[in-house]
Amino acid sequence: MSELKRTQLYDAHLAAGATMVDFGGWEMPIQYPEGIVAEHLFTRHSCSLFDVSHMGRLRVEGPDTVAFLQHVLTSNVQGLDPDKAQYCIIPAADGSAVDDAYLYRFFEDWYLLVVNAANTDKDLAHLLPIAKNFDVKITNISADYASIAVQGPKSRDLLMTLSGGVAVTEPMKNALGVLPLEGHEAWVAKTGYTGEPLGYEVFVKTADARWLWDRLLALGAKPAGLGARDTLRLEAGMPLYGHEMGVDAEGKNMPIFAVSLARFAVSFSEQKGDFIGRKPLEAQAAANKRILNRDFAPDALRALPRRIRPITLLDRGVIRAGMPVYKGEKLVGFVTSGTMVPYYQAEGEGLFTAILDTTAKRSIGMAFIDSDILDFEEVTVDVRGKRLRAGIPPYHMRVDAPPFARPILYDKLLIEENSKSTGDNTQKAIDLLYAAITNHEWRQNACINLIPSENTPSKAVQLLSASDPSFRYAEHKKIKSFYDADVFYYQGTKFIDRVEQLLVQEMRRYFGCTEVETRVISGQMSNMAVFSALMDWKNRLDRKHTPQRLGYVLNNHIIKGGHLSAQPMGALHDYIAVDPVTERSAVVNFPVCKDNIFKIDVEKTKEVIAEYRPELIIFGKSMVLHKEPVAAIRQFVDEQGIPTTIMYDMAHVLGLIGDHFQKPFEEGAEIVTGSTHKTFFGPQRGVIGTNWTKEDLKYGLWNTIETRAFPGSVSNHHLGTQLGFLMAAYEMNQFKDAYQAAIIDNAKFFAKALKAQGLDVKGDPAIDYTETHQVIVGVGYGEGPEIAERLERNNIIVNYQATPDEEGFTASGALRMGMSEMTRFGFGHAEFEKLAELMADCILRNKDIRDEVVALRSEHLDMQYCFTDAEFEKALGKLSTLIQK
Amino acid sequence: MATINPDLKYSKSHEWVRMDGDVAVIGISDFAQDALGDLVFVNLPQVGDDVTAGEAFGDVESVKAVSDLMSPVTGTVCEINEELLDAPEALNNDPYGAWIIKVENITGTEELLDAAAYEAHCAAEA
Repeated sequence: MSELKRTQLYDAHLAAGATMVDFGGWEMPIQYPEGIVAEHLFTRHSCSLFDVSHMGRLRVEGPDTVAFLQHVLTSNVQGLDPDKAQYCIIPAADGSAVDDAYLYRFFEDWYLLVVNAANTDKDLAHLLPIAKNFDVKITNISADYASIAVQGPKSRDLLMTLSGGVAVTEPMKNALGVLPLEGHEAWVAKTGYTGEPLGYEVFVKTADARWLWDRLLALGAKPAGLGARDTLRLEAGMPLYGHEMGVDAEGKNMPIFAVSLARFAVSFSEQKGDFIGRKPLEAQAAANKRILNRDFAPDALRALPRRIRPITLLDRGVIRAGMPVYKGEKLVGFVTSGTMVPYYQAEGEGLFTAILDTTAKRSIGMAFIDSDILDFEEVTVDVRGKRLRAGIPPYHMRVDAPPFARPILYDKLLIEENSKSTGDNTQKAIDLLYAAITNHEWRQNACINLIPSENTPSKAVQLLSASDPSFRYAEHKKIKSFYDADVFYYQGTKFIDRVEQLLVQEMRRYFGCTEVETRVISGQMSNMAVFSALMDWKNRLDRKHTPQRLGYVLNNHIIKGGHLSAQPMGALHDYIAVDPVTERSAVVNFPVCKDNIFKIDVEKTKEVIAEYRPELIIFGKSMVLHKEPVAAIRQFVDEQGIPTTIMYDMAHVLGLIGDHFQKPFEEGAEIVTGSTHKTFFGPQRGVIGTNWTKEDLKYGLWNTIETRAFPGSVSNHHLGTQLGFLMAAYEMNQFKDAYQAAIIDNAKFFAKALKAQGLDVKGDPAIDYTETHQVIVGVGYGEGPEIAERLERNNIIVNYQATPDEEGFTASGALRMGMSEMTRFGFGHAEFEKLAELMADCILRNKDIRDEVVALRSEHLDMQYCFTDAEFEKALGKLSTLIQK
Repeated sequence: MATINPDLKYSKSHEWVRMDGDVAVIGISDFAQDALGDLVFVNLPQVGDDVTAGEAFGDVESVKAVSDLMSPVTGTVCEINEELLDAPEALNNDPYGAWIIKVENITGTEELLDAAAYEAHCAAEA
């Protein structure tokens, strides 16, 4: 094997006892002594190291770099921001793949293109002649830099040990970071070829390769070879050039769109111009679209007769690349990759699915088969002369519940639950009442509720919400002919008409603004009505074209605490434009401070605003420890003359508006939305306030907001809770000064008490960790769901929360707590001190604290900050009797 | 280094044979299992099938590849090790304990090596 090339880590592989093989001209470890199965499993539950230094690392730079890459890659290179990577394919003129690759933008001024080891020479032979037409330089830096894939649920911890606790990248897939690891410069990418939700590829100088490898081994990682790399990528459904791309079993070039990833890797953006293979790829994309809509007409199938699909063997045996696949007696394609893949078994359901120590194996693969075969269709595979049954699952594994990759078993996907209601309902009705009684007593008398988005409304609010108008309709609309008088469509509505007028008055007083809309029945709906109105307002002077959506919009990223109701995946979904250059939602996020990821970085925000000139700025968060810098940004956009609308989504902090927190309209917000039941006094509804007057241009936008509330969002606006809302508004305007002061004081006190108990309280100690009703406590990466469940068993109700440096809610390492409800039940310093002590016992020492929690709660069952005088109680008693009669 | 059981006879294709009265007990050597890697599947004949010396009687599959099992004797299968169907890794963990098939009515045998000769054979292949 003397002519074979060796990577920087060759000696390390020999020292570890690896079995070395010829892999595309490289002498590489196929496996280490523990074997492929053990290496595969270790990757899935801990962390494996893969030497991927054999892959080609090409540095691309020069004035025409972007134009060149747009021409020779399938992806939209202009959509690739600094510190991000993207999967791409190097297309051939016929729409097949020369290779697949990853493009990294670690630095502003050059790109790193990583290609398959065996294809590096072929790729260079393809790229270099084309590069002659561009002012661009391609350098093969493979010998100067090694690359090590660090993959598996523990990978993040291991790398952060080397970085001294600094996050190596943002938590999102494809994020990049350049930072020192124990003094050695490293380029770290959140990418990989194992499907692991936590996995990195680390590039270091050749001289540092052995150091990094040995250091990670010393920290507990184990080496894994090409064998495990293949079974891992197969389980993850990732294509391998030469199997799922390139030439098929019958010697024909496979179209790029045969691989489902192509939908993300191929862009037809205008910026890409006439890139290589564009025409055939467009035909493939059109065919793919028809096929996915189950149009299998011959002309749809012509451009894409077969596609790569996952395949699972249902009979005993093993499927291998090259084996023919049949549907009935018809040959429909060939297996492209297949083997027996091990997995950890699991038990339990949902979030509390436990991964066991026991393992099993399954015979799975990928196949290039006729495009008209549907998911779950049964086919047969010719396994050395025997026809074995196989199924076509949608996928073999899912990674949407980090930190673990979860194997998806075909037979479990097929099980359908078909429970149906039967029999007489009398007993069920009685059972329902008793279950409700048990739940009500438990939540109201025995539990300490710290969910920051919840509150218990007063008895008066609850009774009013259940009283007569709750089953009525009261649609009404302003009519210009009557000087904007509200006209009601139904009779019997005079009472609720008066209630709504009083509610609007009361909320104007609370907000300190000119106009209020109260018919929206949730915070999410408030935002949707506003976004819809903004879009309508934007297009009001041109009704002859399809209306333009909103963009750019500046908001808080969901991982940084942004409110779901202000995200493209939430209320913004149908109103946000797609940027034609980047081909992504036209949303840009508030930058956060490096030393405090819970706080907006005002100076960086100004730079973002100057660059993107967003037409809408949305303040507000659901994980919120700080005031939002509304005044500073208002001043900046006014000084710069940037036309925009500033909105503050105050869902979480609606009940804090005032001297103790923020006065949004005084600070320069034009629209405030909120939900009425988090820090506010309930019931569950939404509200919109604006501060324009009739002389303002944007008063027209206010009118549009009203029409997008009704008839745009609601026909029936739930009159019972609207009546309850009026009582809540009376309570708030009466008691807010004392309530708001207490809630923020309690939050600061509780944060300090938890810290004193040894808990990891997040936020800035200089402000006592919080300026709101919320306190965030770290409980260890991925531990949030289990700790929250443990607290619930002990009658403390919190929610687990991903912090700004975590991957998502299943990987949550924190608890989010709010003080609103317990403050309202009279909790002060003494109670929160005791609660901090109990929570530390439960979280840190796993102690049973249930009885003490019940005792603490039972001393505080009377609601504060609500009306209690005798005349009020008498009237309330009458209403209560009436409802119950 | 792969171990070699001194009490067994070996074929050049790395199966071992132990005579138990008139019955030949057949397995694969430590050298064979090490070369194959993690075994994940075993295809076995059925009781009553005839096997022929020097011809395949089944196969074992590792993660990477499939390999034929060659019969060192000619005869009739009288028992198969069904435990291997669910736990083929037994061949990796205990190659000389995990027998694969038993053959009776033996009418022919391949050229079999004793432990010393087999050791030399392995050394030449390694």
